[in-house]
Amino acid sequence: MGQLIVNGLALGSIYALVALGLLMIFNTVQIVNFAQGQLLMLGAFIGISSAVTQELPIAIAWIVTMAAMALIGIVFMVLVYLPLRGRSPFLVILTTISMGIVLENLALIIWGPLPVSLPSPVHGAPLRFAGVVISMHQAFTFATLIVVLTLQFLLLTRTRFGILMQATAQDLRTARLVGIPVQRTIAVAFASGAVLSGIAGLLVAPTYLAEPTMGGSLGLKAFVVSVIGGFGSLPGAVIGGLSLGLIETFGARYISSNFRDAYAFIIMIGVLIAWPRGLFGEKTSEKV
Amino acid sequence: MRISPYLALVAAGALSIPLLTHDNYVIQLLNIAILNAIVVLGLNYTTGWTGQINFGQAAFYGLGAYSTALATKFGLPWIAASFSAILVVALASLVLGLPTLRLRTHYLAMTTIGFAEIVRLIIVHWEPVTGGTSGLRDIPGIDLLGWHPQGQIQHYYIMIAVLALAVVVAARIRHSTVGRAMIATKDSEIAAEQSGVDTLRMKLLAFMIGAIYAGIAGCLYASSIRFISPDSFSGTQAVFLMTMLIVGGMGSIPGCVAGALALTILPEALRFLGQWYLVLYGLGVIGIIALLPGGLASVISVRKLRWGHPQ
Repeated sequence: MGQLIVNGLALGSIYALVALGLLMIFNTVQIVNFAQGQLLMLGAFIGISSAVTQELPIAIAWIVTMAAMALIGIVFMVLVYLPLRGRSPFLVILTTISMGIVLENLALIIWGPLPVSLPSPVHGAPLRFAGVVISMHQAFTFATLIVVLTLQFLLLTRTRFGILMQATAQDLRTARLVGIPVQRTIAVAFASGAVLSGIAGLLVAPTYLAEPTMGGSLGLKAFVVSVIGGFGSLPGAVIGGLSLGLIETFGARYISSNFRDAYAFIIMIGVLIAWPRGLFGEKTSEKV
Repeated sequence: MRISPYLALVAAGALSIPLLTHDNYVIQLLNIAILNAIVVLGLNYTTGWTGQINFGQAAFYGLGAYSTALATKFGLPWIAASFSAILVVALASLVLGLPTLRLRTHYLAMTTIGFAEIVRLIIVHWEPVTGGTSGLRDIPGIDLLGWHPQGQIQHYYIMIAVLALAVVVAARIRHSTVGRAMIATKDSEIAAEQSGVDTLRMKLLAFMIGAIYAGIAGCLYASSIRFISPDSFSGTQAVFLMTMLIVGGMGSIPGCVAGALALTILPEALRFLGQWYLVLYGLGVIGIIALLPGGLASVISVRKLRWGHPQ
């Protein structure tokens, strides 16, 4: 029981991290990035290329990956967001899905279809208390989530940049009119969204292995998390992520492991029917 | 619908293709392309005319195929099996659409993706009935009042007939009160409501007609190819169907058909590209969305304007 809770929370932390990346982009430009899972996959593989293939120390590999992801985030913005400003949300959704297809197949060409593992940055004997085993990697995953969450909370609420982001989200044209460097703000949002996904990828690969097709389902899960928690809500993303991790772990153990991927969607559809704005409410109203 | 000379030309061309080639591979590819065209025409009701995102179309396609396969394997006559399959699909679309069609954009996209994923998981894991990932084999063929079509070419003519019917029904609905109400819903829900259109009902109607199209295509798929597996109706397939609609031109009937034909045949022609094909596919779709938002149909209608036909 206690072990299931730990495992569920570890899985949920990953979902929460991807959802936080999704939130970064959504809160600035109101775009839902359906390629977020593929960004996670790229993070995992760049980490593997640096740590395993190039044999860099794992800490350096993490830094290389985060830098590369920031760059990829900006390229992503240029390719996907800039040509589509002001288009219908539907076309933007389809563009990000297409970008996901491109990234997934590029990864298949570069890294091949076989699952690969990445070493964890932390080693040592697992922690034990009251019969519950917490591996060092699980502990590190929780710690990363807490650090990321704190940083993101401070960034969004306590810094000038956070205010610029909110202004951009509320009204892009007025924001530009009053002299906010809108383009730069959006670039930072995409870059940090990609970095967050990359970190999630680096954390997934040691436990679940990395393969080019891993992104699809993880991206959708992050999405489900955002819907459950309410799009754009920071606590919503974290609580939604952790609860989905718990639900999947317990569902797989007590109901059926074959349908573990279905629980997320069943709950999401239920939440949408009952509370269309998510449990924590959507922060910014949707533009039609 | 006025019979234009172009339409007659296209019809004559379509009917004479089997005279030009007896290559079973080519005809089979065309058959799949025609089925895709029917499914995309169905998608066009929801997405092209009513403006609602629907990534569940491949799941309805699959639901139609699996229901037909199971019913015919159970021993039901083909006609009864296909009607029951269409009924299953219509009911499923009603149950999914009724509570969820008031949702918008990414919420609706996710709901339909979630529905498709649930259907896929059921097909994959309910092995004793659905055959799991290895699918169902030896599905009984089409039986039209004692006539059993044989070979690809006879099936081709059946598919062409159904496609023609699908096109005619779509064209009739497009210019009816219902069709206009659908388009009004897409343009502005508030304005449509003000003019007395029950937008929720229109969305549901479009969704159900679209699902029925997919169900009919699924039924023909199962009984003509006689083998089905979950891969043919996956979430990826739903994205491909959506891109056929976009590339062809949302809202345009000839566009839907052209988009489905082009994007079913293209991957076969570009097979030598291997994995690169999907990379180019994704980039190509982004390019078309960015540069040619009306799809192939907008190229054709620009030329029509130049020839002096009013839109």
